[in-house]
Order: sequence, then C-alpha cells, then structure tokens
Amino acid sequence: MLTLITGGSKCGKSHIAEQLLENVHCEKIYIATMIPYGKEAHAAIERHRLLRAGKNFTTIEKYTNINELDIPEQSAVLIECMANLCANEMFDSGFDADVSGRIVNAVKKINKACSRLVVVTNDVSRDGIEYPEETQLYIKNLCHINRQLALIADNVIECVYGIPVMLKGEL
Amino acid sequence: MILITGGAYEGKTEYAADFLKINPDEILDGDTCPVQKAFSAVCIKNFQKLIKRLINEKIDPIDFAHRLIRENNKLTIITDEIGCGIIPANKSDRLWRETVGRVCSMIASESVCVIRLSCGIPTAIKGKLL
Repeated sequence: MLTLITGGSKCGKSHIAEQLLENVHCEKIYIATMIPYGKEAHAAIERHRLLRAGKNFTTIEKYTNINELDIPEQSAVLIECMANLCANEMFDSGFDADVSGRIVNAVKKINKACSRLVVVTNDVSRDGIEYPEETQLYIKNLCHINRQLALIADNVIECVYGIPVMLKGEL
Repeated sequence: MILITGGAYEGKTEYAADFLKINPDEILDGDTCPVQKAFSAVCIKNFQKLIKRLINEKIDPIDFAHRLIRENNKLTIITDEIGCGIIPANKSDRLWRETVGRVCSMIASESVCVIRLSCGIPTAIKGKLL
C-alpha cells in the first residue's frame, strides 16, 4: 500500500507520515535521503531524528540509488524525502537530467517488497518563477515523479499546515 | 468557460486532452499564438504567458478578459498557478503576477468549472469534474 504526501515547506508532512505508521507493528524502516551538508541540514536531520525518537524506526541513510536497498517483507517503509532524492540523483555526481524513470522504478520495487510505503515529497512548482535551466529541469523531474507515484498510490495527501487534504483515496 | 490550473508540470494540458477530449492541435500556446486568436480559440494553454505578452504589448489585460468572456465563453483556459511564494523584487514581475491573479479570478468567476491539479490529480474546486 502506497501513500504519497505532498505540500509546501514545513507544513507537517513528516508528522502525518509518521502518524500513518504509528500503529503499524511490523519492522519500520526510515530511508533518509538528505545529505548532511552544512549546519542547516544537520539541524533539520536532528529535528527529524527527535520527531522519530521512540517510534521504533530503523534509519537507513541512502542519498542515491535506493533501488539497491534490501527491504524485508512485512515491513513498513517511509522515504523522506523525494525532493532531496531527486536533487541528489541529478546533481550529486556531475549532472544527470534523466532521473525520474529510475527513481519511480526504485520506489515501485520498494513498494512491492514491503507491506506499507509512505513517500514524502514536496510541492515545488507553484511560485511562477522561471529558474535557470537546470533548476527548471529539477522542478520538471520532481513533478513528473510525483505524478507517476500519484498514479499508482492508494492515497495521495496534500498537507496544509498540518491538515491532511485527501487528493486520492481515504484515510 | 472552463479553467484548468495548478503548478507548472502538473499535467494540465494532458488533462484537457484526455478528459475534456480537446484535440491537442486545437490547444493554442499563449506564449506564441497571435493574441487575437484567443477570441475564436477552443483552448489556450500557458495563459499566464499570454497575459505577460498583453502587458508587453500595452493591451489592457482586464479589458482583454472582459472581451474574452463576452465573445468566447466556450473557451477552456489552462494557466499555471503563479501567485505563491515571495513577492518578486522586480516591478514588471510584480505587475505580471498581480495581473494574472486578477484576470484568472475573473475567468474563474465566469467558469462553470475550475479544475486544479496537484501531483497530476484533478480536483474540481468549482463545479464538477468533467
């Protein structure tokens, strides 16, 4: 079962994602995709760690190629977040414009392996600004990934200041 | 009129073609089409860019929208949602963003149906899904 959670910055997406998996009793795996570059990233990672504390997640830090992960059956997986993963895949070693297909396939593979998957993503295309070409391509890739995942997802949630707005399915 | 909106790359044009059954050849691009074609078009995409061109060509976008509503009320308009985020520092960008907001509010108010796409998923925020 796949749930996709989107929304703007700091709108409570992670909290909703963790809540969804709160009463799940199987092994819980948290795939952290944010590369700990610099102070802000360290602070964000620490804040998320505290949020998850006591919720029995096993954290796996994996910044690219999440298809390589060995996901046990009967596990619940939370991927956080797609915006970082997409950026890492595109910009981490040189520049790769063509990433959406392989990211979607990796998520499909994980979704098949585990019993419950929650993917946290981000809404990045609603400010009307024309960015330089590489950034524009990043926005396009992330939107494409979001749309492909929304197609196969059971639930799609847009989070607005902590309120889950259902775009697809029912909670 | 029908208004289809949402962020960039949300699948708005695909929605118009797949669900409203608009022939893709009949979807004009507001970035490049002759401005006057809007009054006889079936569908215009990138309407936000057409508005930018109106401003650049010194055509009053509000008058233009009034005339569009009067003369082509079967039109389907596809436009990016561009009003979120920080107010642009540049004056012409501010004017454009505000004008898109005003004009699209006029269009939405005249539309039987307003669809907003997020993650490619359409939600009818006015009227019913078609």
